[in-house]
Amino acid sequence: MPAKKPAQWHEEVDVVVLGTGGAAFTSAILAADQGAKVLMLEKTHQIGGTTAYSGGVPWIPMNRYMKEAGIEDSREDALNFIKRLSQGKEPNPALIDVFVDNGHAMIDYLHENTPVRFSVPGTYSEYYAHLPEALHNSTRSLDPDPFDLNTIGEWGSLVRQNPLFPPLTLNEGGAIGGIDFTVVADRMENNIVTMGRSLIASLLKGALDRGIDIRINTPGKELVVDDNGNVIGVVAEKDGEKIYIGARKGVVLASGGYEWNKELVKTFLKGEITHPMSPPGNEGDALIMAMEAGAALGNMSEAWWYPSMQDPTFEYEGHIINQTGSGRMGPNSIMVNKYGKRFVHEGTTYNDLPRAFYEFDPVKLEYPNEPPVWMVFDQQLKDSTMIITMMPGEPTPDWVDQAQTLTELAEKIGVDAAGLEATVARWNEHCDNGVDPDFHRGTTHFENILGGGGNAEANLGRIEKAPFYAVPVNFGALGTNGGPKINEQGQVMNLRGNVIEGLYAAGNAAMSMLGPIYPGAGGTIGPAMTMGYVLGKVVGATASRTI
Amino acid sequence: MPNGTHTVELQVPIERIWAFVQDMNNWAPLVPGYIHHEILSENQSTWEFKGDLGFMKKKVKLQVDITEWLEPTKVTFNLKGLSDNFNGGGYFEAQVIDANSTRMTGYLDITAGGMMGAMINTILKNFVPETATELTDTIAAKIHEVEGVTA
Repeated sequence: MPAKKPAQWHEEVDVVVLGTGGAAFTSAILAADQGAKVLMLEKTHQIGGTTAYSGGVPWIPMNRYMKEAGIEDSREDALNFIKRLSQGKEPNPALIDVFVDNGHAMIDYLHENTPVRFSVPGTYSEYYAHLPEALHNSTRSLDPDPFDLNTIGEWGSLVRQNPLFPPLTLNEGGAIGGIDFTVVADRMENNIVTMGRSLIASLLKGALDRGIDIRINTPGKELVVDDNGNVIGVVAEKDGEKIYIGARKGVVLASGGYEWNKELVKTFLKGEITHPMSPPGNEGDALIMAMEAGAALGNMSEAWWYPSMQDPTFEYEGHIINQTGSGRMGPNSIMVNKYGKRFVHEGTTYNDLPRAFYEFDPVKLEYPNEPPVWMVFDQQLKDSTMIITMMPGEPTPDWVDQAQTLTELAEKIGVDAAGLEATVARWNEHCDNGVDPDFHRGTTHFENILGGGGNAEANLGRIEKAPFYAVPVNFGALGTNGGPKINEQGQVMNLRGNVIEGLYAAGNAAMSMLGPIYPGAGGTIGPAMTMGYVLGKVVGATASRTI
Repeated sequence: MPNGTHTVELQVPIERIWAFVQDMNNWAPLVPGYIHHEILSENQSTWEFKGDLGFMKKKVKLQVDITEWLEPTKVTFNLKGLSDNFNGGGYFEAQVIDANSTRMTGYLDITAGGMMGAMINTILKNFVPETATELTDTIAAKIHEVEGVTA
């Protein structure tokens, strides 16, 4: 149950925002600009949440940077494309319109009123550009410009570190390899950040410029409700002490998903995320608080899926880092399950591929593709491509299994040897024929972005040169995207379809605006910041309540 | 080349310091992030430890080759990455201050190679001097403890 109103608040503000990611900052800035006194509470010791840990890219139709670059886009095209992908699975179709109509306004607002700046990443196009409904030869994704952390003084050291991406922009290859490590070194020396850290640092500067109160190591623990069930504050915790904070206008839940909470993951998701790719603090605090307050839930069986990989020698906050794992769709490689069989197009997007992990075999009564599954490749790929952290030409680290024969490799990794031999033979035959009739490798645009081709010549390569290698591929996610059901103004709804007064949610702490889809790079952050923009205006302008 | 030097003074005669330092088993566990080590010969050993790079930790394996035992003043070594592409070296040097006190200096340099070398060396610029300082201080504290010297 939520907490009851205390005899006396320890402090009162207009708006309490839980979290410090992209949705949180955008809502805080907008609320503050409506005249509200805003307090942001961050559970961890670092600012930025899942956004800082990410590429920091918002996917926004019709944005100003596209227009400046001469890229044509329209409301109708954007809606058609999103609906093509969502296929009616979105929990509230009206939110798609809210997103398309407000996303570009959000980008305009931040451009005009904060240091947040983006560029169009010319080298990084739409993931589904091969679809007729997609935008072709350009992108709706926006690439945060590099940001000098020195300009925010000591706050710079509090911006969450990002172990997944080097300090390069998306356009410079920060997410897809081809990395210039001398530029990386120069940026590190000079405290210049990019991607998620840049976006958060520039939003943080915008918040600091407004005098928004931001506190780290101060998790929100419970919502406070009045006798009518309206949310009027939060109980936070600082140094083990409970603090009752009254919120005259409202409380915004923007503290991320629940991917690190094993119990919630098992309760709601079809596939069990074993290797999350986000800060370990994302334990569903907002979801639990919202459920306690009687919130209805939406999109709960979905997540921002990712086939994650590991170099087990790297740790972040006590956990081995789950990495994006470059090399996955390289030509001389396939992905196989425990039977040594391919089960998916290995070059599909990271949000789509893991859906094959939870496929159920109704005859064998099992999940044959349940990870770990294995990326199997040969010396040709090792010689040409960075695989996780293993650079071409470098010795093979001991966390990569290798063998002179496929049979020996299969035995090492616990995969059916005959199955693997047969699968590779069939794959090689497909390569010779220049077509993959089983899973259609070399036909999607995403392979072009990450694998440099998107055609048979570039993405189909024989697995034939020993030694042969294997690395496990795990069930990962960038975050979850189910949560409290929200209306078009970001207000949380109860099970009877009514608004829970005073409670708002955005980002991974809320039901996804677009449902299960991930339209392109920034399909997470674009809607998150857009809802932050929408609800920030609403909660900031709402009348103060006597609490 | 990322490197670091750190000097401490111990209220212990130089011979006692040598007695401690000459046996790697005495001080190997004091290496920051120590996991384990294996002595292969008088002059060769392998080490595994977890380096604290600030925002993340990295497990590394390396080989240490002693290049000079200069009793009782100096041990010099080379090191080579077994798990990762880096090389380096270092020494421990003891200087007599008086009969009961000694100045001990630890020096360490590590340079990463390969395509990622430039980036890793940027990280090592802080890591190496911090490690040299921490290791030297920890060894000094341990020697004081063993010798019953109170600070």
